[in-house]
Order: sequence, then structure tokens, then C-alpha cells
Amino acid sequence: VFGKAIHAIARISDEFWFDPIEKGLALRSVNSSRSAYACVFFSSMFFQHYCWTAVSQPCQKEKQLSLPCKLIIKSVLPVFRGVNVLERNVEKCSIYTNINDHHITFQLLCKHGVVKTYNLTFQECDPLQAVFAKHMCPNILKVHSRLLADIMIHFPTSQEEVTLLVTPMKVCFKSYTEEDTDFSKTMLTEIHLNPDEFDYFQVGVDSEVTFCLKELRGLLAFSEATSAPVSIHFDVSGRPVAFSIEDMVLEANFILATLSDIEKETASQQPPCSPQRQESDTAAVTARRPPNTESAKPASPLAKRDIESIPRVTKKGRTGMEGTAMVEAEDHAMLEEQAAAASHSVLHAVSCFSQSCIFQFHSLFFGAVSCSEKGAISHTFQSLATSSDTEEDFGNMQSSPV
Amino acid sequence: MRFRAKIVDLACLNHFSRVINTIAKLAKTCTLRLTVSKLYFILSDKVANGGVSMWCELCQGNFFDEFQIEGVAAEHNEIYLELVPENLSRALKTAQSAKAVKIKLSNKHCPCLRVAVELPSLSSSSRIVTHDIPVGVIPRRLWNDFREPSVTDFDVSIYLPVLKTMKSVVERMKNLSNSIVIEANLRGEMNLKIETDLVSITTHFKDLGNPPWASEDGGQSSTQGGDLEGMAEARIDIKKLQQLLAGQQVNPTKALCNIVNKKIVHFILLHEDVSLQYFIPALA
Repeated sequence: VFGKAIHAIARISDEFWFDPIEKGLALRSVNSSRSAYACVFFSSMFFQHYCWTAVSQPCQKEKQLSLPCKLIIKSVLPVFRGVNVLERNVEKCSIYTNINDHHITFQLLCKHGVVKTYNLTFQECDPLQAVFAKHMCPNILKVHSRLLADIMIHFPTSQEEVTLLVTPMKVCFKSYTEEDTDFSKTMLTEIHLNPDEFDYFQVGVDSEVTFCLKELRGLLAFSEATSAPVSIHFDVSGRPVAFSIEDMVLEANFILATLSDIEKETASQQPPCSPQRQESDTAAVTARRPPNTESAKPASPLAKRDIESIPRVTKKGRTGMEGTAMVEAEDHAMLEEQAAAASHSVLHAVSCFSQSCIFQFHSLFFGAVSCSEKGAISHTFQSLATSSDTEEDFGNMQSSPV
Repeated sequence: MRFRAKIVDLACLNHFSRVINTIAKLAKTCTLRLTVSKLYFILSDKVANGGVSMWCELCQGNFFDEFQIEGVAAEHNEIYLELVPENLSRALKTAQSAKAVKIKLSNKHCPCLRVAVELPSLSSSSRIVTHDIPVGVIPRRLWNDFREPSVTDFDVSIYLPVLKTMKSVVERMKNLSNSIVIEANLRGEMNLKIETDLVSITTHFKDLGNPPWASEDGGQSSTQGGDLEGMAEARIDIKKLQQLLAGQQVNPTKALCNIVNKKIVHFILLHEDVSLQYFIPALA
């Protein structure tokens, strides 16, 4: 599933943001014209073991608690190439980050003792976040991924843009035509559907939105892997359309710009560079030497490690962090916990969340985490006014994190 | 000028799709001739095609449940359309589980064939997928260009070997050379030869059998009567041959070819309700 997510994001652009935060790992991407944005968020429960700590800052004013980094997709794709093959061969996949060296290591432990290690450099960069108020969209369609794939299959692979037309009575996907389309050369396809076919159908306003199909295909492929339903949130033409998949452990959002009737040009949304989170760093980060989170891992032999222990692990990790704001302030050492590594040697490919690889994620950002809030940390986003070259501006709405 | 047709039976639909797929592999654009009883896919031997011509005949009754046509004029109750078979093939590709497929000639922005596929769905009403395939209407004065080609005086007529085998042989040879020589005789022997600077390869097929008319019929050339062993040969473009063989999705009931020595090779592939004739001229 992870591999498929990467493939899906790869359809959008050449590089993606690798963004570990406490709740989980977010992979984001935006295409060069900023007209398509994808974000796949894997909650920590998706992973067998997820360990994340933030970079400590000597001054504690504004913590950049996550270190988003950018990777070139092309270098990551080969790691996850041949997803079907992966499912059969790979028993475990570990991802380590190493900020000093600017490396992320993907390690695939396969059958028969084969270990493939990929070291990839990343660039630090600004966080990427798209602001889009899904819940404000008047039109929502929810449909099983199979259906959406079945629909899109009718369009030729060369079809760039597709128009979705809804009225309360019907839904229609058709190939996009402009005024100067040469009808004598192009084949047009239209698909009419009954609202009954959708799991959830809400049309607040009759609208006709046109979006790029190519970028969506990535999501379609991914959705087949997760088998969760796909929700489509949209508004009138010109406003973006969001395709999202929500599951217990992951959430994927693909936001595509739509053609606006008036301007006849692709309106793009702005992904404002908002800080990922604002930690209320009230908890004083004292230099307490906490027990290493690594030791919070179960020492039990791995053979016994099963799904039940996973949430325990993460929770333990968190309480470990909560209780004792762990600071290894001086320690920016990017050591792999050798003990940890050793303990991940053999795993059985068991996952109730994902059928394919099991992932372990160590983040080697050591530092202060103020986790005075239990459970989910609420993100407050401030959309900074970025240099927006677009007509769309959702910035000021309080929107759901994407 | 009106035309509408409907296919309801899945087996017929699949069969029709397969025929269209074969045609699509052979020609980029072709002419579709519709008459009351038959459909013809025609490719005329223009230089643009490399001299290749094709004639494919289907009996509409075998495929369509409803078929209505109103030609250009009463005495010429036929319609000639120019279309890209690939489009039609694509439209039908996703109709594998359709409840019904309707084809209609319509003229919205430009003349097109509107293929409406009714697909079953979970809800009460079915899903309808419409494909508008642009076509060109061929005026009556040009109809003469599209007549059935006939090759009467061929030198040798012989049944083809199993197409799969022939296809794999030709495919390997394609990598080595641009042209291939087909030669055959009336003893049921056929050779496929290629020759390059470095190597020459010949594949021999024996005991293929010759169709009955090869030894009757006065239009025969001088090899009649005596020279059963004499080979008639023609050097043709290997890509065209490979295209023909690769496009065959079903094994034909009968497959044979007629060779006019050094002039042209005429392939005839017969299925139950479809006949396909393909002419490849010899290279100069």
C-alpha cells in the first residue's frame, strides 16, 4: 500500500515531501503548475513501529518540530517498483532518516535473507500544505473505488481532461471539449450514471467541473489497493475538486484544480506554506534525561510481535515522550539504535491494515516534544499570505488539515 | 441517410469486437460500407497504404439484432463511411459485459457514429456510456474506388500453415530483414525465406494442402498440368505480413493464400461469418 501511494503521488510531480509528524507520516506532492496536490497521510498505526521525535531547538520560540524534506520521486520509485513483487518478497521495510547526513534510508528486508538498502538524499524545504475546505463543498459524492475505476476505464488513456457534470438527477462524466476542438478528429466519450450508484450523493448546486484525468489516475490505482470508498468534494467550476480516501489508518487527499469557465485557464490553488504545527510549548523542555524511547519497544522476541503490540508500542512511545519530555538536546547523533535494528530482523508479514509491506519508521529527530496534550495534537494552521499567483484563495478559512 | 443497429447478445458482441480489433490492427483508417445485408471493411490499394488492400465482409444478420439502413438514395441503399477502426475498437473494448450496444449514425457537430453501450450496474437504471466516433461520409461518386478486388489468375493457391506458428516465424524474421519471400507450390509446400548479408533463413512447411480450385479453372497459368513442383514466389514487405498475422485473434476456419508469381500475394482468411481478404503486393 505504501508503494502504491508513492506511485500515485509520482503521477503528480517529480518530487515529494516526506513529512513525519507525530501522528504519522505524510507524503505530499504538488505539481509544477500548482494545479494538483496530493497528500497521503499514514497514521502511526499504519506502521508496525513508528517512532518520531522532533528536532530540538536551543531557543524554544518557534519549533519547527518536523523536518519536512523533499525527495526526488524518481529515486524513490525504484524502491517500490513492482508492487506486486514486493508483496511477495518483502517481509519488512524500514525507513530511517538521518538529518545530519541528509539521508533517508529505505531498507527492504526480503525473503531468503536478502536485504536491499537504498540511501537517498533529501533536501530540506518549507512545509507544504494545501488549504481546502472540504466540508464547505456543496457537492459530495461518495463512491466505491471500483466504480470510479470502472468509469475512468472508458476514457482513452490519452484523454487529458474530463468534465464531471452533476444535477440532482444525474451524474455525467464526459471528455472535455473546448470550443475549438476539432470534432472530426477526436472521439468523445460520455458516461451517464444514476445517483443511485453512489454510496452518498449530495448535490447542492448543479455544476460542471473539469479536471485533469491523468493526475487522478494515480489516486485510482491507490484506491484499489486500499479498497476504501472515494469521496469527491467539489463546487462550481473554477473551484478545486478534492478526491479523498479515508480509512482507519490512512487518509489520502488529491486536490485538483478545475477549469474555470470565465477565465478559461486552469485555476490553481495555493498551497500556503504554513508551519506544520504550532506546538504549544508550554511544557518546559527541561533537560531531563528520559529513558530512551527505543527501550520502550517491547523487548519480547520478535516472533511474538503481532498487531496487538503495535498500538501498545506507539502509545508507550508517546507516553514515554509525554511523561518525560525527552530531550537529547546535545545528542544529534544519528546513530541507528543498533539494538533496535537487531530486533527488527525477522518479521512476519502480518498486517491488518495493509496487505503489503510492514513498515517500521524511525525518525532520528531527537529533541523536545511537548506532548502535554494527550492524544491527537490539534493543528492550527495559519495560512500565510504567500505569493499567490492564482485566483483561488481559500486561505482564510479554517479548514480541515489536508 | 440513416443507420442504426443494435447488438444484444454478448457472444455476438464479443465476436464483433474481435473482428474490429483485427481490422484495427491492419489499417489506420478504412472505409466501412454498409448495405442492407452486409458490412464491409475496405482498404483500397492506394500508395499511402503501401499498396496493401483489404476486403472484409461480415453478414450483419450474424451480429446485429436490429439493423436498419437508409442509404444515400433509393437505388443505392448503401452508406460508405471513412473511419478509424481503432476508435471503434476502443469503444467496444469496455463493453464486454454490456446489456446492449446501439450504433447510430448521427450528425451533431460533424458526422459521427454514436456507440451507446448500456452497462449493467448495481442500481436500478443502467449506466450508459456513449462514444462519438467521428466518421467521414464518402460521396457516391467515389464509390467506385472501393470495389472488391479480385485476383483470378494466380499461380499457386495453398493453405496456410497454423497461423500461430507462421506468426512466430515471421516475427523472428522481422528483426533481421525488411522483406520476406513467400514461395509455394501445388504440392502443398511453402517456404518463407529471408536473406541478409550475413545470413539467409528459410522455413519449410510441408503437407499444407492446396485448395481444390487450384487445379481446375482455365484461368490458370502455365504451371497447370505439368509443373506441380514449381514454386511461385513473391517478395513482400515483412511488416505487412506480420501485421496480418498478429491481428488474428481467432483461428480461422480456413486460411489460404494465392500467389501470383512476383506480383502479389492474396490472403484469404475465412471464419464462420466473416471473410477477410488481404492483398500484399510484391516489392519491386
